[in-house]
Amino acid sequence: MSYELSEEQQLIQQNAREFAQDYLGSITVQLDKSDEYPAEAIQRMAELGFLGFCLPEEFGGAAVGYFGYVLAVEELSRVSAAVASILIEHASLAAYAINRWGSATQKQEYLPALARGEKLGAFALNESGPAVGIGPDAVIATAQSGGYVLNGRKSYVGNAGVAGLYVILGCTDKAAGAKSLTAFIVPANMPGIKVGPKKGKMGLHGYPSADVVLENVVVSESQVLGGVNAGQAIAAETMAAAAIAQAAQAVGITQKAVEHGADYAKQRVQFGRPIASFQAVQSMLAEAAVNCHVARLAVYNAASLVEQGKSFEVEAAIVKLFTARFGQKALVDIVQVEAGNGYSEEVDLARLYREISGVTILEGPMEFPEKLIASNIVGGVK
Amino acid sequence: MHLLTPTYRKLQQSAQQFVARHIIPVAAEYDRKAEFHEFILEEAAKAGYLSMAIPKEYGGAGYDSVSQAIVLEAWGYGCAGFGTTLAATCLSVDSLLVAGTDEQKKLFFDPLVKGGIAAFALTEPGAGSDAGAGTSTAIKAGSEYVLNGTKCFISNGGYAKVYVLYAVTDPSKGLKGISAFIVERSRPGVVIGAVEHKLGIRSSNTVELLLNDVKVPESNLLGKEGDGMKIAMKTLDMARPPAGALAVGVAQRALDECIKFYRTKYGSGKIQPGQAAQFRLADMEIQIQAARQLVLHAFALRDSGLPFSKESAIAKTFCSDVAMCVTTDALNLLGSYGYSGDCVVEKLVRDAKILQIYEGTNQIQRLVIARQLLAEPDPAKSQAQKAGK
Repeated sequence: MSYELSEEQQLIQQNAREFAQDYLGSITVQLDKSDEYPAEAIQRMAELGFLGFCLPEEFGGAAVGYFGYVLAVEELSRVSAAVASILIEHASLAAYAINRWGSATQKQEYLPALARGEKLGAFALNESGPAVGIGPDAVIATAQSGGYVLNGRKSYVGNAGVAGLYVILGCTDKAAGAKSLTAFIVPANMPGIKVGPKKGKMGLHGYPSADVVLENVVVSESQVLGGVNAGQAIAAETMAAAAIAQAAQAVGITQKAVEHGADYAKQRVQFGRPIASFQAVQSMLAEAAVNCHVARLAVYNAASLVEQGKSFEVEAAIVKLFTARFGQKALVDIVQVEAGNGYSEEVDLARLYREISGVTILEGPMEFPEKLIASNIVGGVK
Repeated sequence: MHLLTPTYRKLQQSAQQFVARHIIPVAAEYDRKAEFHEFILEEAAKAGYLSMAIPKEYGGAGYDSVSQAIVLEAWGYGCAGFGTTLAATCLSVDSLLVAGTDEQKKLFFDPLVKGGIAAFALTEPGAGSDAGAGTSTAIKAGSEYVLNGTKCFISNGGYAKVYVLYAVTDPSKGLKGISAFIVERSRPGVVIGAVEHKLGIRSSNTVELLLNDVKVPESNLLGKEGDGMKIAMKTLDMARPPAGALAVGVAQRALDECIKFYRTKYGSGKIQPGQAAQFRLADMEIQIQAARQLVLHAFALRDSGLPFSKESAIAKTFCSDVAMCVTTDALNLLGSYGYSGDCVVEKLVRDAKILQIYEGTNQIQRLVIARQLLAEPDPAKSQAQKAGK
C-alpha cells in the first residue's frame, strides 16, 4: 500500500495548512486564553467547505473522502487542536452518523445544513455511570404513541451549547441497558433540552464541553437514527471514525512540538554548545519523531480503510491507543528538552502539552481500545 | 508505609490537617488566578513550617530531614505550588547550613523566623543546566561587593526577604570564580523583574531578579571567594530529596482522586472496574510506595552524615518521574472528568512536570548518577556508601 498523496489530497493539505497558518495562527493564543467559542473561525471554515468535507455532493458536501479530511485535521491541529476538535465533533461524529445510518428523508432534512455549517453537530454518548445505560443519570427513551420521551443527562458533550443538532443515544429499555441503546436526531431547539454550565478544561480552550440534560424531550419515530436498538453499533463505529481523526490531531500536535523542540535545541547553548548536540536531547527528539512518523502512517492506513468502506474499528483502536501513549510521552519529553522555557505559558509548547491529553482521552477511557484490539486477536471469548 | 514513630505520625497528622484546612480549599482558585497566596505564609509561620529547616538555636522549628519530608509530602499533596514556596525557602536555608557562619545564619534566619520566605538565586538566562555559565558579577570595592546582573526563574523571588545569590567574583577562574552571597531584599538596586506565567505550580511566585549596583558588605559572602559552586552543589544535594517528597505528595493525590472516582462511579462494589484499570491503580501504588522509601532513604543518609549525593539525585529523579507517570495515568483513567476543571487531576499533570525540571533537570541528575558509577572508586567513600545501604 502506498501513501503517496493524490493531487487532490495534496491540495486539501495545502489549503488546510494555509488556513491554519494565516488565520488560525492569528487567533490561537487568544482562543486559549479566553476559552470562548471561535464562531468566526467556524464560519470561515464553513465558507471554505471544511464542515461538509466528507459529506456527499448531493447534500452540499465536498466529498473529499475521509483520508483528505484527516489530512486537513492534522494540519489544523498543528496550529489549533481546539478548532479541529470542534470540527471532529461535528464531522466525524454527528454528520458521520447521519450520513452513514440516516434514511433518505433524514439525510435530505439534516445533512445540507450540517454540510454548509448552518448547524453545528454534536454527539451525546457519555454518561456519569460506570457504562452507558447503567448510572442514575442514564438517558432513557420511553416509548409512547408515535415516538419516545427522553429523560436523563449526558455528560461532557462536545460542542454542547453551540450545536444546532445533537445525535443523542438513549436506552429504550432500562433493564436491557446498552443493548437497547438507540440513536436519536434531536435539534437543539426542541423543548426540554438544557445545556449545563460550560466545563473548564486543561486545554482545547474554545472547544466547548458541557452536560446536556433532557427533561421530557418528545421525539417522533422519524427521529430514530438507524433503527431501534441499533445504537451500540452506531456508537462503536462512529467513535472509531472519530478516534482516527483524533489520532491525526495527536500527530499534528506532536509534529509541531517536535519542530518547536528542535528549533529550541539548536539555539539553546549550554556547556559551550547547542543542546541539540547532546545525545540525551537527541534521544528525546528522535523518539518523538519516530513515534510521530509511525503514528502518521497508521492514521493514514486507518483513514483509507474508512474511505474505502472497509472495516476499520480495530485499526482505529490501534491508532487511538498508540497516539495516546506516544503523544503524551512525546510532549512530556519535549517540554523537558526546553525545560524552563517549555514550562512557560508565554511559549506555545505549554499549550500543546495541555492539548495532547485532551485529544486522546476525551472520547472515553483508554481501556476500551485495548479490549477491542484483544477481542479481535482472541475472538469472542466469554 | 515507612515505620514512622509516634512522634512522626503526630507530625504527619498535623501537617495533613494543616493542608486540608488551609491549602486544599484554596489551591484551585490560586492556580486559576496564578496568584501568590500571602495569607498562607502567616498560617505556615504560626505552625512553624516556614522555619522548619532552621535549627532551634536560631529560633526555628529545627525539623530533622524525615520531619521535613513528611511536611513537604503533605504540602505536595495539597498543592505543589504552595509546596514549592515552602521547599524553596528550605533550599535557601540549606545554603546557610552548608556554609554560613553563626552571624550569617542569624542575619538570614531572623526574617524567616518572623514569617518571611527566602529565595535561592542561581539560574540565569544563559545558565540553566550549565549553572557555572552565569555572568552576574560581584566586584570587590573596599569592604563591599557590588553586584550586577540578571537572575531568572527565581522561585519566591518577588516575596523573599532574603536571597542566597550566586555571582562571579573572578571571571578568570571559571567555576572556581563563582561566589555565594546573602542579599537582603531591602538593598538598593534589587529589582523584581517580569513574573513568569507557568504551565503549573501557578500559585508559586517565579520571577526575574535584576541586580543594579547592589552593594553588600563583605560579611555577606558565604564561605570564601570562589566557594560558590561548591556551596550550590552541596545545597542542591540537600534540596533534591525535598523535591522528591513534593513529588510523592503529588502522585499520592492523583491515586487518591482515582480511588475516589471509582468508589463513586461503581458504588457499593457490585460492579468493579476492569482489570486494566485495577492494574493501573496497583502500579500507581507500587511506584508511590517505592518513591516514598527512596526519599526517606536519602534523608536518612543525610541525617547520619553519610554521603548521599547519588541517592539524593536518584530520589529526585525517580520520584518526579513517578509523579509524571502516575498523574498521566490518572488522567487517562479519569477521561473527560480528569481533563476538566471539575477534577484536580489536570492540575496535577501540569504541576508534576516542573518536578522533572527544577532543582536540576532529571537529565542532569542522570549525568550525576552515571558519573559516580563510572568514577574510579574512592575506598573511603565506597565503605561509607556500603554502610549506608
